[in-house]
Amino acid sequence: MKTLLNAVLVLGFAASPAAAAELTVVTAGDQNMVEYVSEYLGPLFEKENPGTKVRVVGTGPGDAGSQKILERFEAQHKAGSEKWDVDVAVVHEKFVGPMVQGGYLAAYRDKIPTGKLVTRSNADMALGTKVSGYVMPMFNSQTALAYNPALVPNPPKSYAELAEWAKENPKQFGYNGIKGGASGVSFVMGWIYAFGEGDAEKLQNGPFEEAETKKWDKALASLKHFTSNATLTPGNAGTLDLLSRGEIAIGPVWVDMFYSWQADGRLPPDLKLVLPAPGMPGQPMHYVIPAKSPNQELAEKFVALATSPKVQAEGIVKRFNWYPGIDAQHVQAELDEATWNKLFKDITPEDLAKYGKPFPIAPYNNAILEAYERQVTN
Amino acid sequence: MSKRLLGLILVLPALATITLLFLVPLAASIIGAFEIEGSYGLGNFDKAFALYSQDILFTVVIVSLSTAIIGLVAIAIGGYLTLGENTLAVSILRWLYRWPLFIPFIVVGQVLRTFLAKNGMMNNTLVSLGVITPLEATSFLDWRGIVIAFVWKQAPFVALLVSGAMASLDRGTIEAARNLGASRLRILVEIVVPQVATTLIVGLVLSFVTMMSVLSVPLMINAQSPTMITADIAFRLNAYRDYGVANALGLISLLITASVAWIYLKHNVRSQA
Amino acid sequence: MTSLATTTATARRLPRIDLWWVPRGLVLGLLAFAIFGPLTNLVLWTVAERWYFPHALPLEYGFSYWQRVFSPRGNAMESLANSVFVASLTVIVALALAVPAGYALARLRLPLRSLILVAFLIPQAFPNLPVYVNIARLFYGLGLNGTIPGVVLVHVTHGLVYAVWIATAAFSAIDRELEEAARSIGASALRTFRDVTLPLAAPGLMASAIFVFLESLDEFTGSFFVGAPDVNLLPLLLYTAGAGGNYQIASITALLLLVPSIGFMLVVERFLKADVLSRVGH
Repeated sequence: MKTLLNAVLVLGFAASPAAAAELTVVTAGDQNMVEYVSEYLGPLFEKENPGTKVRVVGTGPGDAGSQKILERFEAQHKAGSEKWDVDVAVVHEKFVGPMVQGGYLAAYRDKIPTGKLVTRSNADMALGTKVSGYVMPMFNSQTALAYNPALVPNPPKSYAELAEWAKENPKQFGYNGIKGGASGVSFVMGWIYAFGEGDAEKLQNGPFEEAETKKWDKALASLKHFTSNATLTPGNAGTLDLLSRGEIAIGPVWVDMFYSWQADGRLPPDLKLVLPAPGMPGQPMHYVIPAKSPNQELAEKFVALATSPKVQAEGIVKRFNWYPGIDAQHVQAELDEATWNKLFKDITPEDLAKYGKPFPIAPYNNAILEAYERQVTN
Repeated sequence: MSKRLLGLILVLPALATITLLFLVPLAASIIGAFEIEGSYGLGNFDKAFALYSQDILFTVVIVSLSTAIIGLVAIAIGGYLTLGENTLAVSILRWLYRWPLFIPFIVVGQVLRTFLAKNGMMNNTLVSLGVITPLEATSFLDWRGIVIAFVWKQAPFVALLVSGAMASLDRGTIEAARNLGASRLRILVEIVVPQVATTLIVGLVLSFVTMMSVLSVPLMINAQSPTMITADIAFRLNAYRDYGVANALGLISLLITASVAWIYLKHNVRSQA
Repeated sequence: MTSLATTTATARRLPRIDLWWVPRGLVLGLLAFAIFGPLTNLVLWTVAERWYFPHALPLEYGFSYWQRVFSPRGNAMESLANSVFVASLTVIVALALAVPAGYALARLRLPLRSLILVAFLIPQAFPNLPVYVNIARLFYGLGLNGTIPGVVLVHVTHGLVYAVWIATAAFSAIDRELEEAARSIGASALRTFRDVTLPLAAPGLMASAIFVFLESLDEFTGSFFVGAPDVNLLPLLLYTAGAGGNYQIASITALLLLVPSIGFMLVVERFLKADVLSRVGH
């Protein structure tokens, strides 16, 4: 028993943070995000900064993954820890606002050379909270409709066409409601943008007005009817799963997940994407650095590397076929035309500019979700 | 030393562990369930019931149904292991039934999602064997999928406990009844099961508790609404960061489990008296 | 003479066996399909490079995902070793706490006995998601975050419900007369417990050990909040891959976790000879 206790103590100590130059990266998202940091970014960073070591922890996909990182920050904040155990975190857009409001983050964007390479507004505002300085986008993601061209030769180009199409093809459209992940949520938001009687611009940019929340009843009623004619899928991955086994012909997916599934051989290679008018939301994944990170300087260097045009080109675009986080022109310059054009195989840059929308600001977002809960599922 | 004091001393280390490491942190959550914007009240419960009463009912029905099926399967497995006369069949069953025990719930969710889907492996196999036609294939990814997943994972757990308890029974009574010509089913129902009732109920209560708290199965298998309480809690937190309603739902879930546990304790007190 | 008797005996037995094997085979076959169908699915995914509709079986087999899981930077083996080590310690600590508690709850008159039993149920019964912020905060305050003892303690709180409840059932199923007999021939209370009660309860305790081990091996939330990033456990990989629908990696991880689980079960069975094991729960 005694030796065992010793063993525990020894192991406990051995496992506690050792060398000064160990950089801890915590990332929300699928396993491929974890592998991206551990297999690609980590070694690259270690080569440029000899003596350092990058270790990475994944917290799981979707909002749940980012929520766990936020809770981890909250716990250390409330416990009054002086040095936190996270140096860099990768989180969804939605969770950056609360992190900034909680005072957990360091403002670092202006300190790193790549900070100037981002001009897109979603690096300054996150669902209505001002976050400029605190975040650097890792990549931009977008939801779109994935479809099987064998079953749907002429995919619907807008929400209105989709509603028509679904009427003629019952149960062939599938989505995951709002509780199973953000691709379903995004589809619902797009529905409100399309059919809500309010102003979609206001939903996306604020300000929040109570009166606006009363303008969705009709849209939600029609969504309820639409949903009764659709197939519900278990989660973001569930939609892709049912697409892959031919049970549904069309459904909303995250573009990045779609490409990962195709690359991993879980999705037929001939499936395609379409971004319907008037648009569906997308969101960036952000790099953040906790204010109490023990390796502030190293963390900044890490994010600078991760958001450099070269890494964005090689890592994000070439490796994953994801939309880069920093401004496109800096990344495009690093790539040959064929690789760059692969990004826009199904969705053209024009469509992306026109129909790639942000999510509604947080209060509208919550109000829509709750209205959906009351009026569509109940 | 009085028996009471000794008893308390023996329970104390275990009780202190969960009190300090779980119940104290939990207290904050429970208080949070009654907190609405700084003041106290039942608002979170109102909201929980208004939005999720269907889901609460659904959870109770699904988990109860699963518990009942688990009990039956476990008795059947344990009964055959105890009363089965063909040694080969008994050892095949003994080797067979335990495997799902070792599969974590999240993987159960994943394998059953790809197994039970309309074009999943089960229907593919049945179609290729000619048992059903492709048109007859249906998806089980709804409440049935949850029940199947729970039974698949938990029945071996209860069966393991119950079959052990059955095997330790006095063979004399069983042999005597057998000699008098009682059927094995009758022996199982009238002699064996009553004697292992305590173990059976402990196993079922523990299964009930486990199923109430599993998140991955409803998330990965059940696409429909209503869904289970755990999925709602996760949604409240991840979508709204609403700890109030989440904690209220947690408390409701706890009360449901506690009342089931009470049944066991009642039974236990009666059998000890 | 003998050969004739044997022949008739075989002749008589054969048709009977054949007949009974029909329902037996049918039921066992169905059970095997129900259990191994999903498991086959799992195993196929571990080696599937490409698999989608309308193909009933993978289009391409290979081990590239095994390479990804076992890549030198992925430290899957280290996580597996950590997981097994933590799970073993969890079993030891949980049983050390549960044996006296279970004995007291079964044998000694305790005030509020029912309430105490319900208390052990709570860590499983209250869905953990909203509680973990508070638990993590507590562990940060105590400096237990990122240490093996911290993770073990978190797993113990979840494992105790199985350990205590099953131990209580095991102890209360023992015939009091056996203990009283030992006492009457002069054995001390402690000796009686060690030589009579404990061996009789051992099968139940061992069964609970298996469940505690499995619970610890599969636990994610506590492992993330208290363990990571310093103590990495395999469920972290399992969870990220599983929840994201990365079937191949999740399946491989699950297969890896099968090894210690089944190993532990075999050790327990070897440790308890068949006659003792058959008394689980009593």
